[in-house]
Amino acid sequence: MKNNDMRQQLVQLGNGAHAMATQILGNTDDAADAVHDVFAKVLRKPHVYNADKGPFTPWFLRVVRNHCIDLIRRRHPGGVDVETLSDPGPGPQTSLEIAQRDQALQLALTKLPDLQRQIIVLRDYMDLSYAEIASVLNIAQGTVMSRLHRARMALKEELDRHG
Amino acid sequence: MVNEKRPLEKHVGELLSGFIDGELTQQQRQWVTLHCDECDECRQDLARLQALRERIGNARLSEVGEDQWRENMNDPIVQSSRSIGWLLIIAGMLVIAGIGLFAFIFGSDLSIGEKLLMIAVYGGLASLFFSVLRQRLIERKTDKYKDVEI
Ligand SMILES: [Zn+2]
Repeated sequence: MKNNDMRQQLVQLGNGAHAMATQILGNTDDAADAVHDVFAKVLRKPHVYNADKGPFTPWFLRVVRNHCIDLIRRRHPGGVDVETLSDPGPGPQTSLEIAQRDQALQLALTKLPDLQRQIIVLRDYMDLSYAEIASVLNIAQGTVMSRLHRARMALKEELDRHG
Repeated sequence: MVNEKRPLEKHVGELLSGFIDGELTQQQRQWVTLHCDECDECRQDLARLQALRERIGNARLSEVGEDQWRENMNDPIVQSSRSIGWLLIIAGMLVIAGIGLFAFIFGSDLSIGEKLLMIAVYGGLASLFFSVLRQRLIERKTDKYKDVEI
């Protein structure tokens, strides 16, 4: 991929990658740093991506996600099973810029298990296909629909309870 | 709530999500459509899930805009090429200084003091070179993405 094309793609993916990283790390600043780290890595060594690795978007998000998981593991050296990490820790930082409605949504998301938050962001915020989601999260494609449905139902319930 | 006139064996459940996402086969789509015609509960769930998806899609889950990413992207590149540039400049100066040093020590009638000064300058440059080189090598070794599946 040409460097300019890659930069353009990265600029477009930045926002979604940041939203996903925020769900994993629970903090928008850490998430921005994490995305920035991966930008730096990918741009410094553009050859790390090639077409054998499938489409660019899921590949890039997978790298961001792995990097975030790495950061969490470093935070908890005792070992954490991030797949089942249900304590979201401090919720995503609220910002005045985010409307109240979105804040309620953010808050409801923090109540869900880690993987459910990510799958919702990947599908409903970033509009990835099930195949792409499976590739980012490294799960079987056949399980995406049921996982996503459970996540949506859980989020709906959370929102019904609190707004 | 199952329609009483025509009992439905089973709610469509997760297929509602697949339906919204356009990820069903034609047969599955038909099944969902038929079922929702009959089943209030699933029809309501479908509407709610659709609304939820829209709400998330329109939300601002990240307040970092494209311009910020574009700007922040220039950062690492500049930094990395800057340190490579320094490395090249210092290496070049080392070579020149080395030739000069050789000429001074063996071919000039300068005082010992002046020769020592020259050696100090050369030594300083050399240590600068090796510290930058060392840093680059460490960066390489401890590259935090080394273990990330890429
Ligand atoms: Zn039903």
